[in-house]
Amino acid sequence: MMRDEYLGVFIDESREAIQRMNDILLEVEQDPENMEAINELFRILHTLKGMAGTMEFNTMMTLCHRMENVLDEIRNGRMKLTEDIIDKLFKGADILDQMLNMIAEEGTDELTDVDVEGLIGHFESILGQSPGGGKASGKEEKREESVEEEGESKEEEEESLPIEVTDELIHVAKEAEKKGFKTYYIKVFLKEGTQLKAARMYLVFHKIEDMGGEILRTNPSVEDIEDEKFDWDVDLIVVAKQDTEKLLKALSSVSDVDRVIIKEVSLEEVKKQQEKKEEKPKEIETKKAPSSSPASPATSKDHDKKKKKITQTVRVDIEKLDTLMNLMGELVIARSRIVETLKKYNIKEIDESLAQLSRITLDLQNIVMKIRMVPIAYVFNRFPRMVRDLAKQMNKEVNFIIKGEDTELDRTFVEEIGDPILHLLRNAIDHGIESKEERIAKGKPPVGTIVLSARHEGNNVVIEVSDDGRGLDREKIARKAIERGLIDETRAATLPDEEIFQLIFLPGFSTKDQVTEVSGRGVGMDVVKNVVESLKGSVSIESQKDKGTRVTIRLPLTLAIIQALLVKVNDLVYAIPIASIDSTLKITKDDIQVVQDQEVVVIRQEVIPIIKLWETLQIPHDEESESMNVVIIRIGNKKYGVVVDTLIGQDDIVIKSLGKLFRDVKEFSGGAVLGDGSIALILDVTNLAV
Amino acid sequence: MGKKVLIVDDAAFMRMLLKDIITKAGYEVVGEASNGKEAVEKYKELKPDIVTMDITMPEMNGIEAVKEIKKIDPNAKIIMVSAMGQQAMVIEAIQAGARDFIVKPFQPARVIEAIKKVAEEG
Repeated sequence: MMRDEYLGVFIDESREAIQRMNDILLEVEQDPENMEAINELFRILHTLKGMAGTMEFNTMMTLCHRMENVLDEIRNGRMKLTEDIIDKLFKGADILDQMLNMIAEEGTDELTDVDVEGLIGHFESILGQSPGGGKASGKEEKREESVEEEGESKEEEEESLPIEVTDELIHVAKEAEKKGFKTYYIKVFLKEGTQLKAARMYLVFHKIEDMGGEILRTNPSVEDIEDEKFDWDVDLIVVAKQDTEKLLKALSSVSDVDRVIIKEVSLEEVKKQQEKKEEKPKEIETKKAPSSSPASPATSKDHDKKKKKITQTVRVDIEKLDTLMNLMGELVIARSRIVETLKKYNIKEIDESLAQLSRITLDLQNIVMKIRMVPIAYVFNRFPRMVRDLAKQMNKEVNFIIKGEDTELDRTFVEEIGDPILHLLRNAIDHGIESKEERIAKGKPPVGTIVLSARHEGNNVVIEVSDDGRGLDREKIARKAIERGLIDETRAATLPDEEIFQLIFLPGFSTKDQVTEVSGRGVGMDVVKNVVESLKGSVSIESQKDKGTRVTIRLPLTLAIIQALLVKVNDLVYAIPIASIDSTLKITKDDIQVVQDQEVVVIRQEVIPIIKLWETLQIPHDEESESMNVVIIRIGNKKYGVVVDTLIGQDDIVIKSLGKLFRDVKEFSGGAVLGDGSIALILDVTNLAV
Repeated sequence: MGKKVLIVDDAAFMRMLLKDIITKAGYEVVGEASNGKEAVEKYKELKPDIVTMDITMPEMNGIEAVKEIKKIDPNAKIIMVSAMGQQAMVIEAIQAGARDFIVKPFQPARVIEAIKKVAEEG
């Protein structure tokens, strides 16, 4: 009924919960005594259980319930958190995640290829070993089963009351009667299937006491009621001032009460009837408050918990944001056009308004951009768990550090960038970090360190994966490259390390001799490079033997609006993303030299290849003038120059796709409408140089 | 006039669900809180007629929140929203002054019944 409507929120929130669970499990693994973390874990599972139950995902609910029970035992000190239990909890988190995926795709939490029952059984057996826990968890089910068999076995008994009347009881009742109380026998039936029967009964008792009445005796005993050792009905001896009708009304109003039988009785009479039976002295039950369970002291700790920042959020469909961004882009263009047009007339009064309009659009643009930004933590969150698993699988000890997870980046990147980073992490664990023995032999700390960091740098987001492992092996890479025919021997000998390392980004390159399950399938680094470049980013690698490797990914802050340098060739305007520009300079014809058939310029002892844009784009061009403008492009560690006619200036441009028809065009990544209404093609600088 | 209801639950999903159920039954959901502390503040601010209160929550749990709210307004009508296996805590909450409780997973009808009953009480 309500499932479809809430499925989205349910899945989102459950995902977050499972993510949080993984994080805390990692914490707990380091410090199994961390009660605060265990409490939170318990709370998360509890919430998850409630949500799953409401959505009628019963398997998921049961799994959560069992995990929760185990944690309850642990936080109450009845069980120790062993490595095995942590592993199983991790397993549980995985399965919950899979269930969520299944729910998202198929709408059911039944996994076909995973032994969920087995895991649930495992948690049950863990509970079985605990002194208190097995009972606590198993009880609920058993109770529910026995209910149906016994069902209606008890009915109202006319003659003798199902409560033993003692002299003390009569005495107390008599005392009360002197004060205007009446003695009642009350039988309360709860609806069959009522949950938390004891609490429900307690609510009944509470009601009686609220009315000034007093419960003298219950059958079964209060302790048994607390332990839910009753079916659906309870017998009471009560003294109260109200008449039958009032009591009946009050008690019937308690939720889940099916019906109530009330009879005014004389206890002495009742006793006479019971006389023949054996008498057992019993303490009179007065309004004793049920003691709280061991669970409550633990939860009271909850509010000692360190304050967490609570942010209020609104979930918005990403498509709406895309539309907003698009409109924003149009607005920017419209503004530029107005500014452009009005410039001609030079009206003073309008200048101020124009300046204001510019300011507002800029602010608006920034805000819209920010809305699309999410902390990179969204991507990074899942890695600690993966690194742990991978390291364990490969028998390596790794200290994984994440820095700058607050760094924000465009929402569009979040889905794309995860896999490349994961691949880099895999490489770091598999190829980079040495075995413990090897590290000790090298005099390094026995535990390897992998750092994943993110930061803003100008208009870029920079993501780095670095390790303190063995570093890239120049010889091995060179050999492989020669073997694969990617490079010839003489060239391999002369290339600097940096360029040799770049070779691993070529398609089909993998140096690991033995292909492992984790990495080295030969599809690695070129895929990383492709994804990053499709996001208009770049990737570079630095490495030092036995010191470690650092891979750096640079991404633009956003894909929608970029700052670009506008340049002119003939009468056509082209845009070059500022982010990939190193510098611009003026050269004369004589500065150009030719090295190995390649035109180059030497700038500060650096040899930089250059291309002439008109040649690359194959457009007719007049004689070259004496001096030329060169835009130096930097992609990763590589630089090259693009020769153009004139530099126009810097501007914000809104990227528009060229459409499907032109998707094979490698030279341009898109187009943009300029302030004067003309169109500029955006150069895809990663594909210009050969 | 529709009675004013404050929903307290740390899961946004649960709040949304409850809100829909309660709104459809003609009550007005005047606010939501995601933990006990917030609940107490919202109670002061909004003076709702009825509160639905989850038990396990960060910062301040539902029972503490009931106690705090009862200090502010001894007549506060609070319905606990509990999961299975929280018997003792529900009892504690009732001692603290909660009027009724519902158990997750719940049926919409059950929620409304509880609210209706509590609303009708003086």
